[in-house]
Formats: sequence, structure tokens, C-alpha cells
Amino acid sequence: MFRLFQTLNRTALVKATIAVVVVVILVLVGSRDLQNFDPALISYLLGTIFAVFGIAYRYSVWLQRPPTRLYWRRSMQFLFSKDFIPYAWRSLRLFVRNILFQRFIAYRSRTRWVGHFLLAIGCLLAFAITIPLTFGWIHFELKPGDDVTYYAKVFGFEAGTFALGSVMAFVAFHGLVWCSFLVIIGSAMMMKRRLTDGGLIATQSLSEDWLPLILLIAISVTGLGISYDYTFLQGKTYQFMAVTHAIVVILWLVWLPFGKFFHVFQRLAQLGANLYKHEGQRRGMAVCEHTHQEFATQMHVDDLKLLTKQLGFDYEKKDGRNHLDLSPEGKRSALAKAHFQARKASGKFFG
Amino acid sequence: MPETKYKQEMAFFVDMQRCIGCHACEMACAECETNGQESMIHVNYVNRAVSVQTTVQVCMHCEDPTCANVCPADAIHQDDFGVVHSANTSRCIGCSNCVLACPFGVPKKEEKAELMMKCNMCYDRTSAGKKPMCATVCPSQALFYGTRQEIERMRPDSVPVNTFQFGNQEVNTKVNIMMPKGTHKLIVE
Amino acid sequence: MAKLPVTVDKIIEKFGPHKAYPPQVGFHGAHEPDKLVKTHCCYCGMQCGIQLKVKDNKIAGFEPWMEFPFNEGRLCPKGIQRYMQNNHPDRLMDPLQRVEGKGFEPVSWEHAMSTTVSEIKRIQNTYGNDAFAMLSGVSLTNEKSYMIGKFARVALKTANLDYNGRLCMVSAGGGNKKAFGLDRTSNSWADLKHAEVILVAGANISETFPTLTHYIWQARDNGAKLIVVDPRVIPLARTADLHLAVRPGGDSALFGAMLKILVDNDWLDHDFIKNHTSGFQETIEAVKDYDLEWAEETTGIPKEQIMEAATLWGKAKTSFLLHARGIEHHSKGVDNVLSCINLVLATGRIGKPYCGYGTITGQGNGQGGREHGHKCDQLPGNRDITNPEHRKYIAGVWGIDEKDMPGKGLTAYEQIEAIHRGDIKGMISICFNPLVSLPNNNFVREALEKLEFYICIDTFLSETARHADIIMAGSLHEEEEGTVTTAEGRVVKINEAITPPGNTRRDGQILMELAARLGTGDKFSYNTSEDIFNELRVASKGGTADYYGITYKKVVDNMGVFWPCPSEDHPGTPRLWEDRKFKTPDGKAHFNPVTYKPAAERTDKEFPVVLTTGRVVSQYLSGTSTRRIGKLVDQYPEPLLEIHPKLAYQYDIKDRDLIKVKTRRGEASFPAQLVETIREDTVFIPYHWGGKQSANQLTIGTLDPVSKIPEFKVCACQLIPTGEKATVELTETAYQSYLPAENSNDK
Repeated sequence: MFRLFQTLNRTALVKATIAVVVVVILVLVGSRDLQNFDPALISYLLGTIFAVFGIAYRYSVWLQRPPTRLYWRRSMQFLFSKDFIPYAWRSLRLFVRNILFQRFIAYRSRTRWVGHFLLAIGCLLAFAITIPLTFGWIHFELKPGDDVTYYAKVFGFEAGTFALGSVMAFVAFHGLVWCSFLVIIGSAMMMKRRLTDGGLIATQSLSEDWLPLILLIAISVTGLGISYDYTFLQGKTYQFMAVTHAIVVILWLVWLPFGKFFHVFQRLAQLGANLYKHEGQRRGMAVCEHTHQEFATQMHVDDLKLLTKQLGFDYEKKDGRNHLDLSPEGKRSALAKAHFQARKASGKFFG
Repeated sequence: MPETKYKQEMAFFVDMQRCIGCHACEMACAECETNGQESMIHVNYVNRAVSVQTTVQVCMHCEDPTCANVCPADAIHQDDFGVVHSANTSRCIGCSNCVLACPFGVPKKEEKAELMMKCNMCYDRTSAGKKPMCATVCPSQALFYGTRQEIERMRPDSVPVNTFQFGNQEVNTKVNIMMPKGTHKLIVE
Repeated sequence: MAKLPVTVDKIIEKFGPHKAYPPQVGFHGAHEPDKLVKTHCCYCGMQCGIQLKVKDNKIAGFEPWMEFPFNEGRLCPKGIQRYMQNNHPDRLMDPLQRVEGKGFEPVSWEHAMSTTVSEIKRIQNTYGNDAFAMLSGVSLTNEKSYMIGKFARVALKTANLDYNGRLCMVSAGGGNKKAFGLDRTSNSWADLKHAEVILVAGANISETFPTLTHYIWQARDNGAKLIVVDPRVIPLARTADLHLAVRPGGDSALFGAMLKILVDNDWLDHDFIKNHTSGFQETIEAVKDYDLEWAEETTGIPKEQIMEAATLWGKAKTSFLLHARGIEHHSKGVDNVLSCINLVLATGRIGKPYCGYGTITGQGNGQGGREHGHKCDQLPGNRDITNPEHRKYIAGVWGIDEKDMPGKGLTAYEQIEAIHRGDIKGMISICFNPLVSLPNNNFVREALEKLEFYICIDTFLSETARHADIIMAGSLHEEEEGTVTTAEGRVVKINEAITPPGNTRRDGQILMELAARLGTGDKFSYNTSEDIFNELRVASKGGTADYYGITYKKVVDNMGVFWPCPSEDHPGTPRLWEDRKFKTPDGKAHFNPVTYKPAAERTDKEFPVVLTTGRVVSQYLSGTSTRRIGKLVDQYPEPLLEIHPKLAYQYDIKDRDLIKVKTRRGEASFPAQLVETIREDTVFIPYHWGGKQSANQLTIGTLDPVSKIPEFKVCACQLIPTGEKATVELTETAYQSYLPAENSNDK
């Protein structure tokens, strides 16, 4: 136990604790001091708070790694510069395109994008519904004296009404059902790929690739079970359905910071990488001395020289040039030339 | 998860002075199922204006891979056999750090897909006990996959070397390069 | 009336060439195919073993065939991409008929067949049987080659059958027959491995036979010295022990001078010369004046290098000499070959382990296809159509009267000339694209336009097929069973991986139906390819190319059998002449005196630069198949003019400048590629492209007097910088063979 505390990352611990405190405050404020909090959801709340702690902790540790820190600092520096407006706008557009819609995946394969988008949008929508409910930020009340009209309350403020039995009510109360279907279809598509694509079959792993999909389907199916129970079984199996669903969801929440799903949070760094490239292009490109072609931004090459040094690699040459000043093709040619010279020096080009 | 039949006694040997620049490896690489019609091997003329010398470059699978070290997304994984795998598709953010930092010029950035891809020694084939596609088809055997004993028997004038010097940096790799007898290191200046 | 029916642009739009690529995730079923079919590559003479993946009667990919002894899984880029010719959008799926003003329209097989047969009959009744000619090709199996030989003589009753091997290895065949009385590479490639010296003359092995490279490299690992004779530093030559950058046309001078050095230094095998050869004295008499000064002057090779080559060759105990089109595509191609053979015979290094000699056959079945009656002067078993005994034997096998068998006909290029003269009025072709592959192809185009009726059997609408009246949709390599004989003389099995799709038919089936409609159905009643092969075995029995002892089962069980194989218990003959019993009339190997002759067209003030042509690694011959495979096209998208910087400097030519190359036959423009890897007096253009970027608009139609091979490898040209840079559009459309503006037949 003592060892564990020693290896704990102090900065990350502080940040994660702050994150948890902020969430707790938001829960208290949003639910009007727990007035609107649904006690049935307490286990979900605890799971979520654990997840927040874990994600914040891991994110913070991650940001301390030299390459990540470089991108983080650089993107913050560029974002909050005199170009804030264009860069913020650019990031927002990319956020919609590549984070919400994950369009970059379509260039890897179309069906893969469809599958991923379905499961991702299902998850995101489900979060949008469940988190405010779990935190007590949203709740529904019957209008006093009217047993067909519902109030939706957000942070305790009235945010709209709808009639029981209306289309709106059907859509709102079944939101998670629609999400479940999206997630199941998307996960099934992704599973099919993993069963038929030879490349994936060779490289996939149970914990990183199959378990996440199985968990998502389990969450969706048990969630649908609750709906099924009160729609068709008059709540006879409610207890069982509710408990199994809670178990899988909490398992998932606890695993969120450690497993594959952490990529959702890491993916945000793609926005930073884009800003970095864009700003770098404005500042000027590096030209390879072998190919005489531009191959990367000079800032990137320079940053990498420092970064590799920090990480314990020294590609500097005796004459002050650096191996990293060569483009990938330049490096390959340099190796080939060195090999040719070594053969030549041995007296035979072939051996 | 899949049962692996990776043969640890097999090794990869490259001799680019044997390369005839035919691009068979490149065509074959695209048939490898882990990279779906994208070729991960590089063949290029060193300087066509003066020579037909070509170079062929697979991932050398460094013992301490620079690419994995500079990756901000922890996307590059080295397995128990020393194979440095292509970027984990869910993590890679397409920043190109690995592309620019690799001393051998190996990783490729698929721009639109925001993804780095690189040679993983045909893991679909090597993990099933087969030879990688490129070394299987290479008509000049500039790329050879087999045991150390085999290559020593076949090429009595050469010796496998897996140490490289780039500037001040020494890099050790899983993949070997065939050098004149008595050489221990390839120095790239 | 075989002009283009519509503009070439419209033909290209519909029939291609279009570039095909595999789908991003691979073809359906590539991961779990229904079956893997062991067969061979459809391209060059190496005939590498390969396994095709089949799913739902479609080719889904390939898997290396590790056990096949020649290549053990190794392949070149063409072999890897060969499967892409299947499932191709340009594939002709129906018989087509030329419709003036409309292009080519699908017709029924009945219509295609009856039109063809009535036109054949009309032309033959009007102008005589020989006025209807046939051109064929040796990418076809032995079975088809044999059947075509029989079809032309028995069903068409024409003397005028020839084949595209006429552009390939006939000079080697001619030389081999003169010297050894038999036409085959004398050793299997396995004998390369321990040869002390390997001399490669005019064979761009690294690009045209890439998988043979491994054998050369293995030999070098075992200590062999490599000598490469080529005007260019080809990839094989880059690290060679000796590269002799011969001036195009100088080959026989080089080998003559080397022979003289062997004699002067007594690096000769006197026992062998005395006991097993004839003609030695006359032969060395012919080279007695070929001293080093003369040789340097004539070949452009420094005399020290010639001396070194002769010394290496002379002092070696074992050796292997290989040559290919580089020395054979000459108006003195046979002489060049004989001058090589003289070196081999003088040192007696043949018929022994690691002592070999041979031509490297270019086409897939260049060996087998040239043995079984495919040539204008030949009958099966490499028999002679003018020899009464041979005629009688084959007439017996075919069940016809010897008197009804036509005599010797015209060779391929002579047929083109005969069309110009009006002697040939109709033609049927299969597996041949002369509009790209023959020299001086403007002359060829005019000939095609003069034909009254031209019918073409093919799988794609080749440049030549654009001029056809009827096109019959035939089969691809993987759609019909058979055998081929590789460049080392190994008979191997081609397996049918899939059945011909849609309304296409097997080539064999098409020929059999035509034969039946021409009234000779009883002579072509084969049920299987094996039936044809069994007839071929009998027909070849007793000939020099004796296949009698080879059966399908034996070929499959042994992964190939080397002919000659005269009886079923005979194991085949990987290495010839171990018995020293040569097939010449006197049983001896013949020296042949070779006097150096210059090329047909020499450089002069007006045309001061030597033009030579050749191939690139990613394309195969006239490109009917490979110019439709996207990745192969992209690897080398357009023909470039290779020129030495010093020559370029004289004309102020820079890289990528568009240069008009003009010869006495025609002119065409190519982007310049400045490279130090070519002789300063020579430019090089690869020939795989048709239309306005076709190198064969420039080449010369002068033929070797014996082999009738055209002189592709040397002519005189002038270089005219256009003052423009080559455009991206030119690069991107080269594979499609658009025509020069003045020839495009715009309607």
C-alpha cells in the first residue's frame, strides 16, 4: 500500500480530486441540494464520480508525458493567441467533423465509419440523457392539478412542458431505447469486421477490442430489458433488470479510465495536432537536403529534436546537423548510401 | 487473443545492394491483411540521375523504438516478440511525430484517415508461422526471412548487423542488415 | 474496311484501357477463399508458380506457392498483380461486331461465327486460301499453340500462319538449331548456382525476368563473377563485376573479339572441339582480324574491359552464358546468337554441371509455343514443314492427306508487307497486338486498314482489336487448363481456376467451333485439354522437341518435366548434351563463322543518335493486360526517353522536357529523363505503349535474313526539343493509347 502511494502522481491526484469536488458541487447545485436527486440512481452517481476521478487522473498523467505536454502547451499557446477567433472556429469545426461525426474513420473504410458512428453517437446521446438525470440536473414533475402534463426541470428551473402520451413524451421517455439500438447495430457491425478481417483477426486482443464491444452490447441489452419489463411485463422483473443493468454500467464506468474507452478523451488531442500543423505551416516548412522537397513544418522538426533529446535520444551529428533534418525518404537514402559506402570500402559492392 | 505461432528463431535480413528496384515487395505488402491495400514498405531510387541504386526499407523494429517514445497518444506498442506494431487505430491522433522521428524513415501518415501506419512484419502471416509477404516474394532476396544459420550458410561473405549509428545515437534493431564480414555497425553520417 | 469505326476517344471510353485497382478491403473472399488453385503466372518465360484464390468463381487474390521449385514463392510485381486482370471492367463479355459510326456492338455467338466463316470462305474463294492469314501468340498454352498450328493448316488451309514469337526468340531458335540441331536452353536454371562466370548479354534480367535474379545472386554468393553486356547500367549491372556498355549493334564484334582472345591465349577445350564440334577453323578464321583496337572502335567498349571479360571467361572452369532480346532483336540476331555459342563451344563448357548456355525466353510459353507447329515453317515436335518425312508423319497424326497440307508461309512481319501488296486480304488473330509490338507501326496500321475482314479473338479490346470487324470474347489464362513450357524447358501445368464468365468462351472452344463450321469438325473433336495434349505427345514423338513421355499426371506429380522426354519411364532432361549427342545431322555441335555486320540503319548527320528500345519491370509486352492494372501503370506510367546528361547538354535538354524523337519511319514525343546510366551516344525508350506514345512508330522493320526478327534494338534518330515541358495529362493518359492528331480518324 505504501508503494502505491509512492508511485501515485501528486499533480494528477490533486487535479483528479479537484475534478471530483467540482462534480460534487455541480450535483449539489444542479439538484437543488439533492432536492431533485433521484436516490435510485445513487450507485450510478458513485460510479460516475469514480470515473471522473480516474479519467482526470489518467488524463493528467498522460499530459505530463513529454510528447503530450508538447502538444498540449503548443495548442494552448496557439489557441489563446491573437488568432483566437479563427483557431477556435477551426477547432470547433473539426470537433464537429472529427469528434462528433468521426469523419476521418471513413477514409479508413466506409462501413467501419458507419459502425463506429452508430455506436459512438448512441453512447454520446445516452450520456447526454443519463448524466443530467444521474446528477439530478434534470427531472420531470407532473403539473399540479393536471395529471397529463409534465414539466421538465433543468437545474430546478422549468424548461418546457409536454403532454403525457404525446409524441414528444414517447420520444423523450424512450431516448435510451433509441440509443441502445444505435449502439447494438454499431457494435454488431464492428464485431463482424473483427470476425472476418484477416488483419484484425491477427492483431486484436480480448481486453482492448472485444470486451469493449461486449460491454456496450451488454449495457444496451440490459437497458432495453428495463424498458421491455415495464412496457410488456408490467414491471414483474424490474428488480432483476435494474440490478443487472446497474452492474454492467458501473463495471463499465469503473473501467472507463483504464481501458479502450479512454481513447474518446485522448481523441481531443487530434484538434491540438491540427492546430499545431496549421500554425507550423504558417511559420514555414522544412526542406530535406536530400530530396530538396518540403516534408514537414520546421517547427515540428525543431520541436522533435528537443523532444527526442528529452527522451534520451541524440540524433545530432558531429558537424551540428541533425539526422532528423532529413525527410523520411532522405533518411532511407542516407542509410542506403552508407550501406553502399560500407560495401565499397570492403572492396565488393555485392556480398 | 488469437493463438500465435510466431517463430522466434526466424529473423529478418535486408541487403539493399541486392535490391533491383522492382517493387514486388511493395505490391505484395499491399496484399497483407493488416494494412488493407496500403503498402508499408518503401522502395525508392537513391539518386536516379546517376544510378539505378534503389533502397528498400521495412520497419527495423528497434529495441527501444523512437517512434513509440515520441508518440503522444501511446499508440505504438511493442509486443513480446519485439515486433513494433502499427499505430493503435483508436488512439493515433495523426500527429506525425513518429513519421518525422523514426531514424529509418519508416512510418507513413495516411493524411485523410488521420492515422499513422507502418510495417508490423506482416503480423497476420508471421503470427501464423508464415514468412512476411515482402520477403516471400522478393525476387532478389534483398529481403530475406529465415534463420541466422540459413543466412550465414547462404551468404558466406556477409554478416548480419543490427546496430546503427545516426549522429550520436546508437540504435539497435530486431531486423538485420547484411554487411561485409567484420562489420559490427552501420554508421550513417 | 478495318479503319476505326468511331473516334479512338469513344473506343477508349467504352473499352479502355482503364486502370483497375483492388477494393480497399480486398476482394470478397480473399480471407477465406473457396479454394487455392496452383497454377503459374500468365506473363514471362519464368512461369513462376503461384496460387490463385477463388471465391464464387472469381479470382479474389493470390498466395505464394512456396513449394514450386523454380521460384519458391518469389514473384515480381507483374506476377503479384496478375490476378487483377480477372474481374476487370474492360473484359469483353460478348462477341462484338464493328458497326461503322457506332463502334463495337455485342452480337450473338451464332452471328459472330457465321459472319466469320462466310467471310473466310468468300476471301479464300476469291483470292485463294493463302489470302486469309492467321497470327497467333505464345502467351497461349502448348495445347492451344498446337491446335492453332493444326487449325490454320487443316481448317483454314492457309500457309500463312505465324506468331508473335517472331518478335521474341526466333533468332535464338535459329542459332540454336544451326549449332545444336535443337532449340532449347541447354540447362535448367539450377546450373547457374555454381557457375564460376556468368555472362549476361542483352538480357535485362532484373526487369524482364526478375525472379531469375535470385539464381544469379546465389551464384555470386558462391563466388561467381558476373559480366553484363548492355548499353545501359541495368539494375543487374550496377553491382556486376564487369559491365560492358556495348554500343547497340556491336554484340557480335564483342564476342568475335573475345573468341580471338580465347584462341590467342589458348583458353580452349581442344578435346571437346576435336571430338564433338565442327567448323572451328572457319570460325576462328572469321575473327582473326578482330583485335582489341578494332573491337573497342566497333563496340564502344574500352579494350581493357573486353580483355578482362575474355580472361574471366577463358580461365573459368564452369560458366553460364545467358542472352535475350538485347542481342536477338537485330537484323543480324542469329549471327549474334551464334557468336555467343562459339564462345561456349570453344571452351567446351556445355553438357556438364554448372556449365550452361541459353536464351531467356520472353513470353509465358515462348518455349513450348515455338515447338509445336505455331510457326510458318514448322510442324509439331519442332519439325520442318518443308521436310517430306515430317509432313507425312504429321499428316498421319492429323488424319489428312499430306498433299492437302499447306507449305511454308510468311513470317509475321512479312504478312504485314503482304497485306500492303494485296496478297493477304483477311486475317484472324489471337493473343497478338501487332499495332503495339511490331516495328514501324504506322505501316502496320495502314495494313490493318487495308484488310477486307479481320477477326480477333481476345479478352480485352487491344489496340489492334480496335481495327477488327468481329471480336470474339475469349478466355483468360486462368480460365482454361493446359501446359506451358518454361524458359528452362520445363513443362508445367496451367490449371483452370474459374470457368469463363458470362458469355465468354474458352479459346479452345472457339477454335473448335470455327473448325467445325469450316467443315473439319471431325479433326477437332477434343473433350478436354488433356485430349489435345495427348495428341500433341504423339505428334511430337520422334521430333527434337519430344513430349511423348510427358503426361499431365507426371507434370503435376513432379512439378514440371523437362523435355525431351521420349517415353513414359523417362525422367526428362534438365541438362542437355551430357551425352554429347547433338541433334545436328552429323551429331556434332557446329561452330558457325560470324563476320561482324553493322546495323541496318547507321547514324548519320541527319539522324545522329542511336535509338534502342526495351522494357520496364512493371509492364509486359504490348500491355494489353498490364496497361489495365492500376498499380502496374502507376509504377511507370509513361514511356520516358532515357538520355545521358552529356548528350542532353548538346541539345540543351533538361529533365522532363518534351522531346520529339524522329526517325525515317515516324516521330513521337517523350519526356526526357536525364540519367548517367546510359551510353552517351544512345537513347532508350520502352515500347509497351500504343498510339501516340508508341516507341514502335520509330523502330525499323528490317528483318534478320534467317529468323526474320525485326531490328527493334537499333536504329538512327534525331532529337528535337519541343521547347515544352511534359504535361501531367500526357503522363496520365499514356496507358490508354490515344492516337496522334493526324491519325485519329476523327469522324
